[in-house]
Amino acid sequence: MDPSASLADKLASKTASSNSLDSSSKSSSLGSKHGGGENGILRDTPFGYLEGEEDQDQKNDVTYVCPYRGPVFGALTITNYRLYFRSLPLRDQEPPVVVDVPLGVIARVEKIGGATSRGENSYGIEIFCKDMRNLRFAHKQQNHSRRTVFEKLQANAFPLSYSGRLFAFAHAAANSVNGNGGWDGWAVYEPLAELRRLGVPNDMWRATKLNESYAICDSYPAVWAVPKAASDDFLRRVAQFRSRCRLPVLSWMNPRTQATITRCSQPLVGVSGKRNSDDEAYLSFIMEANAQSDKLTIMDARPSANAIANKAKGGGYESEDAYKNVEINFLDIHNIHVMRESLRKVKEACFPTTDDSKWQTAIDNTLWLKHIRCILAGAVRIVDKVETMSTSVVVHCSDGWDRTAQLTALSMLLLDPHYRTVRGFEVLIEKEWLSFGHKFQQRIGHGDNKHSDADRSPVFLQFIDSVWQVSQQFNNAFEFNEHFLITIVDHLYSCRFGTFLCNTEAERVAEDLKHKTTSLWTHINSSLDQYLNPLFPSFTHGAELVLRPIASVRSVRLWKGLYCRWNPGLCAPQHGCQRTRELLSKQDQLFKLVNELRLKSNNRSNSMQTTTRLASPMH
Amino acid sequence: MATGGGGSGHGGAGSAGNADHHKRNTFTSYVAPLPGDLRATADTNEWCLPSDLRDVHLAKPRLLHGEQIVASAPAYMYSPIDPMDSSGGSGSTLSAISSASGTPADRHHKEATFGLLSVTNFKLAFVPLHEKRNQAITAPLIDLYQENTYLGRNEITLNNIDHIYTITELGRAASALQAARGMASHAGMSRRKKLEPFKQQNISGRIAALHIVCKNFRLLKFAFQQQDSKMFGASDQGKLIASALVRFAYPMRHDLSFAYAHREPYYSTLGASGTSMYATKNDWARELIRCGATEWQVVSCASVQLLQNPLQAGKYTVPPHFVIPKSCSVDRFLDLSRAFCDSRAAFWVYSYGSSAALVRLAELQPAAQQDTKSENVMLELVRKCDAGRQLKLLQLTDRLPSIQDVLRAYQKLRRLCTPETPEKFMLQDDKYLGLLEKTNWLFYVSLCLRYASEASATLRSGVTCVLQESNGRDLCCVISSLAQLLLDPHFRTIDGFQSLVQKEWVALEHPFQRRLGHVYPAQPAGGNAELFDSEQSPVFLLFLDCVWQLLQQFPDEFEFTQTYLTTLWDSCFMPIFDTFQFDTQAQRLKAVTDSQLVLRPVWDWGEQFSDKDKMFFSNPLYQRQRGDLGAQAAAVAHRRSLAVGSKGAHGAASGVTPSRNTINPQLFATASSVPQDRYLQPAHRIFDLQVWDQCYYRWLPILDIRGGGQPQVDLYHRLLLSNIAKVQRCLDYQNFDDLPDAYYEFAGESRPNQHKDEKPDKEDEAEFVDGVERRRKPTAKAATPTSGLTSVTGNLQLSTLSSFFPFGNPIAGDAPLQLYDILSSSSELLMETSSFLDKSSIV
Repeated sequence: MDPSASLADKLASKTASSNSLDSSSKSSSLGSKHGGGENGILRDTPFGYLEGEEDQDQKNDVTYVCPYRGPVFGALTITNYRLYFRSLPLRDQEPPVVVDVPLGVIARVEKIGGATSRGENSYGIEIFCKDMRNLRFAHKQQNHSRRTVFEKLQANAFPLSYSGRLFAFAHAAANSVNGNGGWDGWAVYEPLAELRRLGVPNDMWRATKLNESYAICDSYPAVWAVPKAASDDFLRRVAQFRSRCRLPVLSWMNPRTQATITRCSQPLVGVSGKRNSDDEAYLSFIMEANAQSDKLTIMDARPSANAIANKAKGGGYESEDAYKNVEINFLDIHNIHVMRESLRKVKEACFPTTDDSKWQTAIDNTLWLKHIRCILAGAVRIVDKVETMSTSVVVHCSDGWDRTAQLTALSMLLLDPHYRTVRGFEVLIEKEWLSFGHKFQQRIGHGDNKHSDADRSPVFLQFIDSVWQVSQQFNNAFEFNEHFLITIVDHLYSCRFGTFLCNTEAERVAEDLKHKTTSLWTHINSSLDQYLNPLFPSFTHGAELVLRPIASVRSVRLWKGLYCRWNPGLCAPQHGCQRTRELLSKQDQLFKLVNELRLKSNNRSNSMQTTTRLASPMH
Repeated sequence: MATGGGGSGHGGAGSAGNADHHKRNTFTSYVAPLPGDLRATADTNEWCLPSDLRDVHLAKPRLLHGEQIVASAPAYMYSPIDPMDSSGGSGSTLSAISSASGTPADRHHKEATFGLLSVTNFKLAFVPLHEKRNQAITAPLIDLYQENTYLGRNEITLNNIDHIYTITELGRAASALQAARGMASHAGMSRRKKLEPFKQQNISGRIAALHIVCKNFRLLKFAFQQQDSKMFGASDQGKLIASALVRFAYPMRHDLSFAYAHREPYYSTLGASGTSMYATKNDWARELIRCGATEWQVVSCASVQLLQNPLQAGKYTVPPHFVIPKSCSVDRFLDLSRAFCDSRAAFWVYSYGSSAALVRLAELQPAAQQDTKSENVMLELVRKCDAGRQLKLLQLTDRLPSIQDVLRAYQKLRRLCTPETPEKFMLQDDKYLGLLEKTNWLFYVSLCLRYASEASATLRSGVTCVLQESNGRDLCCVISSLAQLLLDPHFRTIDGFQSLVQKEWVALEHPFQRRLGHVYPAQPAGGNAELFDSEQSPVFLLFLDCVWQLLQQFPDEFEFTQTYLTTLWDSCFMPIFDTFQFDTQAQRLKAVTDSQLVLRPVWDWGEQFSDKDKMFFSNPLYQRQRGDLGAQAAAVAHRRSLAVGSKGAHGAASGVTPSRNTINPQLFATASSVPQDRYLQPAHRIFDLQVWDQCYYRWLPILDIRGGGQPQVDLYHRLLLSNIAKVQRCLDYQNFDDLPDAYYEFAGESRPNQHKDEKPDKEDEAEFVDGVERRRKPTAKAATPTSGLTSVTGNLQLSTLSSFFPFGNPIAGDAPLQLYDILSSSSELLMETSSFLDKSSIV
C-alpha cells in the first residue's frame, strides 16, 4: 500500500500506527449542505469529510508519481483541510493508491517543468511535507489544470500568508453548530489543580498570578509557582536579569523530598560579567526551599562553548564565583539549527527508500541518535540530582523555551508516573511546552509558506522521539502506546486542532483558541482504546518507579514506525501485542466467571441459612 | 602456593590428581613445575600482603571431580564499566564526575575487588576475599539470576578464553591499578601485549595486569600487587597466572581437556520422546516418515561393507548415518562421493509438501573440478526424487561469507562489545552505528536470513532445493537449519529445535572443535598466524543470532526464549558436555574408546541448571499447537520402526540384499505430517535487524536498564499466565481461597485475611523503595492490608531486575518469592501438552 492506506485499509493501518489523521465522524452527506451547492461539484470522494471541510478544487486527470509503484492515474481533490488523491483501478485485484495529506503537513509547493517540457510526467507539482514525505503530481500541459491546483494549494496550505484562516477555526465552528457533546480537551490542564497535585502551596512555595495579563513576561503562563521568600516586586526585578524576562519558575517538586525542578532562561551576564544580587538571592531562595540539600544544581542545556559565546550577545551563564552554593553543568544539546539539519538528513536517509547496505552509516551520519542521546542523558542527570541526591535543579538554555522544555518535560516524565498516563502526558505537554511558551508557530510554521525560515526546528518532535525511546526501554511503564505518540506528531502538523497553534499562552488567550478551536485532547480522549498499551499493568496502579533509561547510542534506535512509515516495504507487523491482548482477555473472562460463581456461592449460602431457620421449629 | 604435582584442593581431588598423574605420563610434562613453584611449603605471608589481606589463601575455589589447581595468586578484579562513569554521555561529564568522585586512587579501589585468582585444569576462578562473609546476605537475591552448577559468578571455563592480554611495566609504576585500566602510568611505560599460543614468550618487565577476552563477549580485568623487588626469589604473580593460562587455555590435543579428567558418572534424564539425537538409523528413519520422504533411504556406515574395510574406509569422511536417494545403490553413491570435498555428496535433511526435498551438497574437490560429471550425476539422482522433477541449486560459497569472513566480523563485533575503559566506550558510542556496520556482522546475518528465506520459498513452491558449499559443513548448516525453522513449527519447540541442531550440526558433523577453538594444534613449521586463525569461526553463533532475529520478528512462534539461545552459546564452552566438542562422530567415539570420556549431552539441561533457571527457557507467549507435536509423531514412528526391524531380519534371512542396509519408509505412511500453513516469512534487510543485546551487552552494566527491557515484558506475560493458571485451578476445584491479587483488584475487593499468623510476618517485611530498604510503617493489627498496597509493593520489587535478566548483576531489592510464584504458576500452562485453545474451550 503506497504511501498511505486506502479507505478500506484505514482501520487496519490505524492499528499498525501508520496513519492517524482521519477518523471521520460524519458522513459526506453532511458536507453537501455547504460545499456541493456552492461549487456545483458532486461529492464522489470516498473519504469522510470533517466538519467545516469544503472542497476547493478537483481534477480528474492527474498522475501521481508514486516512488514505489510508479506513476498512477487518478483523481485529485483539494479541500480546505487536505489533499486527497485516489488512483483509478487498473486491475480489480489491485488496491487503489491513495494519498491523503493534511495541508498543514505541507512545507513547500513547487512547480516542475514548463510549457515546453518534454518527457512523460515532467510537467507538474512537487510537494515537500514536514512528515518525511515528498509528493509529485503530473498534469497535462494542455488544460492548465496545474495552475489552479497550485494556487489552491498555496492558498489553503499557507492561509496565514494569504490572509486566510487555519482549518482548525473552520472545523471547530462547524462542530459547534452540530454540538459537541463529548469531552472537552481544553479542560485537561488546569494550572492550579496541577500545582495542588504537586503540593503547592506549601511552606516553601506559593502560586502567584502576577503575570495574569502577561505583563511581566509575555511568553510565560499566567500562573507561576515561586518560592515564598520572593515577593512579587522581587520577582519583577529578577525577571529583568533573565533573557526575555523568563525567570526561574517551578516545574515539578518531589513530594517526598521537596527537591524541585525549576526552569528559566539564561542570565544577562554579557561580556562584562554583569551581576544581579536579586537573581543571586533568588537562586538561594530556591535552594533553601529544599531542606535536604545545601547546594543548587544548574543544568545549562547548551554546550559550554555556546554558552560562553552567548555572552557576546548579552547572555551567558551563572558563574560559580557569583552564585554561592551553585554547581553548573553543561549538557551539550545543540541548537535549533543543528537539529533542523539533522532531521533533514534523517528524511534523506529514510525517504523514499533506504539503502540497506549503508543503512547504519547513513543513520550514524545524521547525528540524530546522538542528539536524542544527549537529551536523554541530560534528563537522566536531572533525575539523578533530584531523586538520588535530593538536590534541586534549575534548567535553562538560551531563551528557555526549546531545550529547556525538552529537559524538564522528559525528566518529569521519568520522575513522576502520573505523566506516563494518557491524561498525565497531556497535562505535561500543556504545562511544560504550551504554557511555558515553546514557539510552536515559529518552529513548525503553521499556515506559513516560509519553508526555509531559520526558526523552523523539530524540537518538539525530538521530545516525542525521546519519550518513544524511553517507552522502548520500559515497555510496561506507559499507559499509552506508539500510536498515541504518532497521533500527537501528526496533529502537531495538521492544523486540525488548536492545541499547537500560536507561540505563547498569551497569544492563545488573545486568539480565544479555547472557544474557537477544538483541542487535540478532545479528539484523543473520546476514543481512548486505540491509544492504550496492553503491557501497562492496570492492577498495580501504574509502575511507581523512577525510570533511568540508558543514554547510549547502543540503546537508542531510530523510530522506524514514525520516520519510515510511508514505505510499505519497511513496515513490519507486530505479533507480540496481539498475544498480550489475548492473555488479558482470557484473564478478564476467567475473572468474570469466578465472580459469578462466587456470587452464586454466596446466594446458595443464604438459601441454606433460610432452610436452617425453617428447620428449627421442628425441634 | 599450588604445585602442579598434586592438587592443593580437597583431599579427594588430590588423590584423583595423583591417580591421573600415574596413569598418564603426558600429564606430568603438561604441568611441569615452574622454577617459582619450587618452594616446598607455602608460607601464608609469602605474598607480602597487608595484615588485613593475608586471609586470601583461604579463598579457594570449589573444585569438581578431577579438577586441580595449577596456579594461584592474589589479585584485584576490576568491575566492568559502571553506569556512573558515563551516564552524562559526554567527555566533559566524565572529567567532572572524576573530579567529584575524589582522588583517582580512591576510585580505583572502589572499582576493584580483592581476592584469590586461581587457574585450574577446568577454569579461571576469582574468589573475592570477603565473599564468604557476605554470602548469607546475598544468596537469596542471587537465586533470581542464572546459576550454573559447574561455574560460579566470577568463574569462566578455559575453553571460553580467547585472548589474553598482559599489561607489563618496564619501570617502577605509580600504581598497578592504573595499568589494569589501560592507562599509561606516569612513572614508567606500560605495554599491552597479546599472549600467543605456542610462542615462547619472553616477557620483560613485571606483569601488572591481565585482560581476558572471552568467546562469550565477557572481558575480565585483573591487577596484581606490586612486589618488593628487593625480596630474594620473589615471583611475578602476573607471570605465574599468565604462564598457566597460556598452557592450559590453549591445549594442543583434545584429550587434555577437563572433560577427560572429570569422571563423574552421567545418568541420563532425557526422555525417549524428547530430543532426537540422530545417533541411530531409526532416528533418521523417523524423520523420513514424518516428512513423507519416500524416495530417500538411510545409510548406516556400520552396515556398509565398503566402509568397514580398513583399507577402503580411509577414502571417505562420511558421518555414521546419512540419507541418500533410494534410486542409487550405496556403493555407487560412495563411489561418486569421492569426488566431493569431505565425501559430502547429496545428503537429504528435510522434505516439505509432496516431495520437495532440502539437500546438502559439497563442492567438487579441487582436483576434480575440471570434470563435473560426478556433480551432474549426483544432481540428476536428486532430481529423480522430486515428483515434479525440479531442482534448484543454491550455491552458498559465492553468496555467503567464508568462515574467515565470519571470524573477522565476530572479532570486530566483540571488540565493539568489550571496551576496556569508560573512555573507550564513549569513543565507540560516538560512532557506534558506523562501527557496527563496518563489522559486517549484521550484514552476514542478513544474508543468511535472506538465503534461508529463499530456500524455504523454494520448498514451499514444491521444488527441491540443494544447498551447495565447499564441504557442506559450515554455512550449509546455518541455511539448512534456518530454512527448516521457517517451514516447520516442530523445530520451533524446544525439543524440535534441539533435534534440529543435533541433525544439522552434530550428526552431519559441523567441526565444532576447530570452529570454537577447543584445540590449538601445533603450527607447522613456517606457518603463520592467519593460517592458524582460519580454522576458528563462530558459525554456530551466526546461526543463533539469526534465530534470535526471528524471535524478535515472531515473538509468539517459538517455544524457547532468547535466554535459551544465550545459554546455548555459553554451553559451547562447557567442556563437560560433549555435544559441541568434536569435529566428527568418529572423534567422539574414539574419545570414548581410547580415553574413557563420559558423554554428556548438553540437552540435559538439569545437569547445569535448576528448574528455576530452566523456566526462563520457555516463552510465555508461545502456544503449543497440534502441528508442533513432533514427539508424538516420533513415538508412533518408533513403534513402527520396531516392526520394521523384525521384518528386516526376516528379509535378510531370505537373502534380499537392499533391505539389509536400510529401513524402508515406503512400507508405512507416505503422507507428510508437517503442517503446510505455519511457515514464517521474515524481513531480512539490515534495516530490520537488531543487535542481540542480551548475549553481547550483558557484561556491560553501563547498558543495563534497571527495571526495563525485555525481561519486564516477559515477566508481565508470565504474571498473566500465572493468574490464568491460578484461576483455572480455582475453577477446577471450586475453591476460591487462593485467587491471585489481580482478581481482587478486578473485583474491587480486599483479599480476605484468613491467616492471622501471617500478619506479623508481613508487618516486619522490609519494603524496598528505589533499591533502598525501608521499614514499612507499623499499622494497627486490626487493619487489613489493601490489595493495592500489596500489588504496588510487589511491582516495586520486580522493578529493579536487570534488563539482561537472568544475566546481569543482581542488586538489593529483587524479590525471589514472588518471582518463584509467578514462574511456577505460569509454567503450568506452558508445560501442558494440550493446546491453550482446547483448554479455553472447556471453560
